[in-house]
Amino acid sequence: MNKTHYRDLDETVYRITLENGLDVVVIRREGFTKKLAYFITDFGSIHTDFTLEGREYHVPAGVAHYLEHKLFDMPDGRDVSAEFASMGAMTNAFTGYDMTAYYFSCTEHFEKCLRLLLEFVSTPYFTEESVRKEQGIIDQEIGMNADSPDSVIFDNLAGAMYTSHPIRVPILGTSESIREITPEILYTCHRAFYTPENMLLCIIGDVEPTACADIARQVLGTERREAGRKLRPWQEETAVPTALTEESMEVAMPMFNLAFKCRDGGIGEAAIRREMVADLAAEALFGESSSLYLRLYEEGLIDSSFGGGFETVDGCAMLLCSGDSRDAGAVRDAVLAQGEILAREGIGQEEFARMKRSALGRRIRSLDSFDATCYRLCAYHVAKFDYFDFPALYRQIRREEIQAFLGEVIRQDNCCLSVIYPVKEA
Amino acid sequence: MTLIIGKELFTIEIIELFPNVTLRCFRDTRFKQGCLSFQLVGQMTAQDAAWRALLPSVLLRGTGRCPDLRTITQRLDTLYGASVSPLVRRVGDCQTTGLYCSFMDDRFALPGDRVLDPMTEFLGELLLDSPVEQEGFLPAFVESEKSNLISTIECERNDKRLYAQNRLLERMCAPDSFGLPRLGRPEQIRAIEPIALRRSYLDALQTNPIHIFYVGSAPAEEVARLLAPIVRGLSKKSVPVPPQSGLETGVPGELTEEMDVTQGKLCMGFTTPITNRTEEFAAMQVLNVLFGGGMTSKLFQNVREKLSLCYSIGSVYYSVKGVVTVSAGIDFDRKDCVREEILHQLDACCRGHISQTELTAAREALCSSLRATHDSPGSIEGYYATAALSGLGMTPEQYMHAVEAVKKEQVVSCARQMELHTTYFLRGESR
Repeated sequence: MNKTHYRDLDETVYRITLENGLDVVVIRREGFTKKLAYFITDFGSIHTDFTLEGREYHVPAGVAHYLEHKLFDMPDGRDVSAEFASMGAMTNAFTGYDMTAYYFSCTEHFEKCLRLLLEFVSTPYFTEESVRKEQGIIDQEIGMNADSPDSVIFDNLAGAMYTSHPIRVPILGTSESIREITPEILYTCHRAFYTPENMLLCIIGDVEPTACADIARQVLGTERREAGRKLRPWQEETAVPTALTEESMEVAMPMFNLAFKCRDGGIGEAAIRREMVADLAAEALFGESSSLYLRLYEEGLIDSSFGGGFETVDGCAMLLCSGDSRDAGAVRDAVLAQGEILAREGIGQEEFARMKRSALGRRIRSLDSFDATCYRLCAYHVAKFDYFDFPALYRQIRREEIQAFLGEVIRQDNCCLSVIYPVKEA
Repeated sequence: MTLIIGKELFTIEIIELFPNVTLRCFRDTRFKQGCLSFQLVGQMTAQDAAWRALLPSVLLRGTGRCPDLRTITQRLDTLYGASVSPLVRRVGDCQTTGLYCSFMDDRFALPGDRVLDPMTEFLGELLLDSPVEQEGFLPAFVESEKSNLISTIECERNDKRLYAQNRLLERMCAPDSFGLPRLGRPEQIRAIEPIALRRSYLDALQTNPIHIFYVGSAPAEEVARLLAPIVRGLSKKSVPVPPQSGLETGVPGELTEEMDVTQGKLCMGFTTPITNRTEEFAAMQVLNVLFGGGMTSKLFQNVREKLSLCYSIGSVYYSVKGVVTVSAGIDFDRKDCVREEILHQLDACCRGHISQTELTAAREALCSSLRATHDSPGSIEGYYATAALSGLGMTPEQYMHAVEAVKKEQVVSCARQMELHTTYFLRGESR
């Protein structure tokens, strides 16, 4: 395997691409007890249109999440969770807009757990009955999200900001769309996007890297299969079609999501650089060390729940901030006004250096979290960038880039506000 | 005094900096960040809960050198993005108030630069150099943090599961300190004046024991040397924290509330005489995991997986007080059958219907999380700093050995000692 040592970060990473096309990444952490493995595919809720073996498919919304649930079923009534549990391991999965991840963490029996993870994710087994039964469970999950203000406020925002991009549709789909899901559709999606070539295995802990690669070879085989090709028919202008969306729910205080629609940055180093520039721009504009934050906090327009950053999903990107506020409209106006000032006047050299030092330090600290590190490594790998190269990238960023970004993005016509009011005030 | 706990790989050095000012150090060079927590330890009471919850946020608003939030954040930015956050803990009868610092390890700093020294200095400033007006904290700071705290409390109802859980405990433990809301009540917070708040704080600095915890790469003597000037003269009139007491329960019964929600929340509270200070503690923990602690538990496997009666279900064991709660997200009309099924699963435990697989899974899950305790500064601080207050007299290794030795009969005996006390149900509004 290919070994890279990152001196800046005191990390050693082993990498290999197997004959079957699977990328394996092992972050070796000597002296730690916990081991964590992520097995991911870059197939998420927005990928409902694709071609496979010369045929075009359009599958119902919510299928990626449904598939994630059903992959835990195995033939012969085997119970994957119980098998992990008998080894003291914890397993789970999540579905995002553009990625689905399966993972386990353990302190012992690592190799057996890894085998099991690879085995269950690569073994589709769906029956009419089990697929039908899952509807009840996912319906409850949809119901739970309907009561969660954080989910509702973002779904409303995405629905208002985008005209055709499927981020408009909740990750779980709807009660209606999930009724259209059949075992056949699930098998097709699995065949299209769960091929080794389309996946990544990322492991962190005190483990033997070559043994990990060997296990992946043994379980997944060496055959290389063609993956599905995603269709991205969505066309988006950067202007938002709807600037304001409001709803009432059982919440204590009015809450808001405020977003500025950005052009999609694509993948590769340039995209990641743009992402880091955007995060620094967010910091300069409304971060805790900004003059705007102090002013809004002292005026009582925001509180410590306020925060934000740059969010990207395959095909779209936005600068987002959120929090509780009695006057979200005033927050929006203040952010717009301050954005214009910064775009015109830029930020000071000293302030910029301090912000960079802080951002770099926070990223280094976050490497202590196995989960955050594994997740970031996977997400950046999908975007074709080596996450551990972030210190070098930070050093290259110039303050003019922050100014230019703010000038491009903080505009009235691509700004959207989603607010949820308490029921009583409605 | 220096005391070393644990003979294995990990040791905690306990240094009594001054009487009742205790520094616990966990030296570890594996991490990229260190943490330092400072806690004043008091009793959880209706009078004190609110000001203790408010205090840290007021301390974080400004110091002599950094007069506002912006200059504070700029200072933290210079310390490579260090963070200081409010630390308010409830551990059984105790409530603590203080600050929690996380900061990058010195080895990643620019050549010649240090993080721990200026971090400790800044912590001292935040604790002891708040701007003062007429003997009180600045009214503007106090007022805005009061309204922030009130909105934090009010926003607890946004998370319906947590809300239901809190309502249950409030009712079930009404005569006990455990029934008090962790952060006080909004009306108590509204009544806090800047002068009274500062007086309560200065008084606590003298009368409350102080617990400081450090995890990181520096040797204990160095941390002690940095902290000594800050804590010298504090805690002079304090007495040690009294031991934890048993739970006093309220009147048993059922409570239903209505809200505009799509999904109902059923929450059931059980009592048990077993606490973290009793012999059967490890067996009780195993029972909790086996009954409702995760995806392999009886509740998850039967109520959710087999019967599809809910999306979420799980149990929590509050070991300091001897309370177990079960909560489930359900359809409104399924309350009775879910309740029956939960009791049915507990009854199965009482009757010894526990498979070897279930028992192994529960023991392994607990051991696995105990083994990983030493893998992050946050979990190290959380485990030991809490254990010092809760009366749990075991290191993670000792705790693990106790769990490994648990037999099925002991688990059954624990199940038989659980008694249903209160049921709470949150449902949609009847129209």
